[in-house]
Amino acid sequence: MSDQTDVLQGTLDLLILRTIALEPMHGWAIAQRIQQISDDLLRVQQGSLYPALHRLEHQGWIAAEWGASENNRRARFYSLTRAGRKQVEAEVAKWERLSAGVNLVLRRT
Amino acid sequence: MRLWNALRCRIRSLMFRDRRESELREELQLHLEREIERLQAAGVPSEQARLQARRSFGGIEAIKEECREARGTMTWDTVVRDTRQGLRRLVRDWRFTVAAVLILGLGIGANTAMFSVVNAVLFRQPTVADPGRLVNIYQNDRANRPLIVTSYAAYQEIAGHTDLFAGTLAATIPNPTRYLHEGVIRTALAEYGTATYLTVLGLRPLLGRWFDQTEERPGAPLVAVLGHHTWVRAFHADPSVIGRVIYVEGIPVTIIGVGPAGHHGIVDVGLATDLFLPVTAIPKLVAFPAPRGDSTIHAPLFVRARLREGVTLLQVRAAMDLLGRRLVAEHPDEYRTSGEFALGPGITAVPTTDVRIHPQADRPIMGLASLVLVIVGLVLAIACSNLATLLLVRGATRAKEVSVRLAMGATRREIVRHLLMESMLLSLAGGAVGCLFAWWGITMLRGVQLPVNVDLSIDLRVLAFTIALALVTGIAFGLAPALKATRIDLLPTLRDEATPVVDHRRLTLKNALIVVQVAVSVLLLGGTSVFLQQVAATRALRVGFAVSGVAMLETDVRFGGRSATASKNIYDELLRRITVIPGVQSAALLRGLPMAANGVAIVVDGAPGATRSNIEATMLPAGPGFFETLRIPLLDGRVFDARDRPGTPRVAVITERMAREYFGSVNAVGRRFRLENDPDSWTDVIGVVRDTGTGSFDDDVIDPIAPPFYISYTQSDALPTTVIARTSGDAGTLLAAMQRELRALDVTLPVITARTMAQALENSQVAPKAVATVLAVLGGLGLVLASIGLYAVVAFAVARRSREIGIRMALGARSQQVVAGIARGVAGLIAVGTTIGLMLSVLVMLALRASSGAGDVGIGNIAVYRPHIDPMALLAIAAVTGVVGVAAAFVPARRAARMHPLVALRHE
Repeated sequence: MSDQTDVLQGTLDLLILRTIALEPMHGWAIAQRIQQISDDLLRVQQGSLYPALHRLEHQGWIAAEWGASENNRRARFYSLTRAGRKQVEAEVAKWERLSAGVNLVLRRT
Repeated sequence: MRLWNALRCRIRSLMFRDRRESELREELQLHLEREIERLQAAGVPSEQARLQARRSFGGIEAIKEECREARGTMTWDTVVRDTRQGLRRLVRDWRFTVAAVLILGLGIGANTAMFSVVNAVLFRQPTVADPGRLVNIYQNDRANRPLIVTSYAAYQEIAGHTDLFAGTLAATIPNPTRYLHEGVIRTALAEYGTATYLTVLGLRPLLGRWFDQTEERPGAPLVAVLGHHTWVRAFHADPSVIGRVIYVEGIPVTIIGVGPAGHHGIVDVGLATDLFLPVTAIPKLVAFPAPRGDSTIHAPLFVRARLREGVTLLQVRAAMDLLGRRLVAEHPDEYRTSGEFALGPGITAVPTTDVRIHPQADRPIMGLASLVLVIVGLVLAIACSNLATLLLVRGATRAKEVSVRLAMGATRREIVRHLLMESMLLSLAGGAVGCLFAWWGITMLRGVQLPVNVDLSIDLRVLAFTIALALVTGIAFGLAPALKATRIDLLPTLRDEATPVVDHRRLTLKNALIVVQVAVSVLLLGGTSVFLQQVAATRALRVGFAVSGVAMLETDVRFGGRSATASKNIYDELLRRITVIPGVQSAALLRGLPMAANGVAIVVDGAPGATRSNIEATMLPAGPGFFETLRIPLLDGRVFDARDRPGTPRVAVITERMAREYFGSVNAVGRRFRLENDPDSWTDVIGVVRDTGTGSFDDDVIDPIAPPFYISYTQSDALPTTVIARTSGDAGTLLAAMQRELRALDVTLPVITARTMAQALENSQVAPKAVATVLAVLGGLGLVLASIGLYAVVAFAVARRSREIGIRMALGARSQQVVAGIARGVAGLIAVGTTIGLMLSVLVMLALRASSGAGDVGIGNIAVYRPHIDPMALLAIAAVTGVVGVAAAFVPARRAARMHPLVALRHE
């Protein structure tokens, strides 16, 4: 477990947006998917996931809809809105700039 | 309809909120279930899976809270929830709540009432169109400072600058006058202005019209415009007043209009001008001592002008400088007088918006206003620190509740917010109650027969002030206790053993608050003592004339519309009838009232050195028998008698003070003086009488009026107005008999004043008494509040120390020792507070003395105050404070001492 890293503050929004860009998902599934895709390297703090979802919804980047979950329970599915799609691109670009910058610093010093 | 909409909106949001809440719960629930399922699928036993899922999820309530916060619905919801919780808590502790709201109500109410006065005087915006283009113009004195007023002649010169000014107006300071309306004589403030008055201000009359140029000419029939405030209050907003005739000083005046709403007069300080009359009415209506037969306007005027488009203040100032120099060249004698108000060549022009009352008076008035606000602010400070004390005590009893909530995961911020919400609710309720108190106070003030109309309304500014004050108050008294209440050691508090056996710290918040309260109460009581001294001083002052058995009756025959000769006979007849009332020993006629003297400037002939001019004196027109009726002893010469008729040389009886101050000796008989504005008014001194308290009663000892002299009304055309009589019996009975005689003589004659001398003296002390009463009430209130605080603190300390007390008593301590131990601590606090308060009192008094010593403060009647520091009074205050404070502490201390040791030990 020790090689798991908590999701960096500020990158959670990007990860959520990116994850649900493929298909609408509910909260637990989003957390699972992020963990799976990152080969268990990233772990989403479950406590911060829901506030982030609600904040993104409030900002109008994602929309929520009630649907049936895998175990046939009522679940809240989140999907990207049009504004959200633009936001994903912006966030990805921002992240790439940031990581490229950090990498450069790490390599050259 | 609107109400229904609001209600529906409210219901819907509540319903939605419930749905949102249940959805949030469902969403999080699902997450947990899926996690448990996942763990079970990985082979974790079901009970362990549940625990593990919970643990990794974290606090559900906290997450919910964060989600709400993320949605922005947080703030409103929390406010609603905190309010609801706070209200519930306050309702449960209703005794505390009522006490707190009352305390705050008194504190805030006092502030609101005072602020509404200050608001009326200083802040209310005058209703004037485009005030930026208006300038005030004043003639300067020798030292080139603006004089209070400008002469009419100078006004006419200023108004001649039509190249600069689109219009110019002049108006007097509101003058007290009287008019007859609906059979009642009313006192009023009259402003005498020019026909241009309203147009220059850019206003329109509400009804009718303003007087025009023809009505401003000397000799035109008198017309008046009613002030709006007066029209509403005295004339019941009756539109048919236009064209009605009222009798101002007994002279018929036709009402031609009603002034604009919200316009109170040229000096808008909350005193509403009742009547606006043309300047040319001054010689007829105002008792300025004008030379006989002269209809020139000798009146102090305010001048205001509206600038033409494109004219700058600099241009105006340049033109006024030229004008000033020209006036000096043309009328050199006017600039020759000496004295405080001697005319200088300069003329000042200031934008109207920069002046509140007068450029010279604004600063001292601001100072006075801030002093008043500081005083009431101190009361609020006591109330605040008092409530803080109560909250601290209450906070300690709530320590357990707070620690349970902290243990349940509430953050400290939340609890502080919640506690603050409670104090806010308290202070807002206090503010509402305060508004009621203030409104009640203002209504009471209006009920008092004030000689003037004061427009003291609680307007938006006052309301905003009160609400802001309430909010600040809420934070002021709530924050420290709330912070302290949440700084708790959780475990011991939960286990109920947080009580330290003895708290030896001296500098605690509670102690500091008690000291502050005691100190401020002492300071307020110190102020009270100063004003009480003044009342006592006034009372102790030698009255100097007969009081018992003396009654006075003032009427004015001009209100009946009679000719001068017929009127004279009526007074003589009234005097004759009153003289023969059984028991009457002496009676006399006079003009005005025995205590009311008119200030005049005089020139004394042959004073040591050269002729002294422009010195101040006060004049009372009396008649034969006056000194005998009032038993004022004659020191030298003679008093008025039948010899003093119209046409004989003018004579005067002067007071010994005037003789000493202006003639250098009490033997002034045979010397002469004249009125400054009338070169033909040389008056011989025929007698010198002993000083009386005259003037000191009407004004006060703070600002004694100039020495009085008496002239004989029989030598002028002016009629007397008042009969005074002295009886061997009861003055009240005499007064009733006098009124009967007046009615028998002529039912149409109005009674202006009917008083016994004792009543009149009592009346004249109203002002210092009122100030002393207000301060005493405030100081007393402060002391009561401080006592409540002391009581609460001691009661609390005793409750907390009951185990210690029980142990000590079980070990053989006697109850006296226990009480003494508690009393020692309290006495120390009171001593420190009292000392600080006394030192502050002395400092404030010294500061007041120092500030009133400055020469530029005393304009007009603006209080120049030199309080006298009375060590005995201060000691008495200290003693009272000590006794009250110890008594407040004694009650709970005794209860502790009476406790049975066993009960005390079992306590907690």
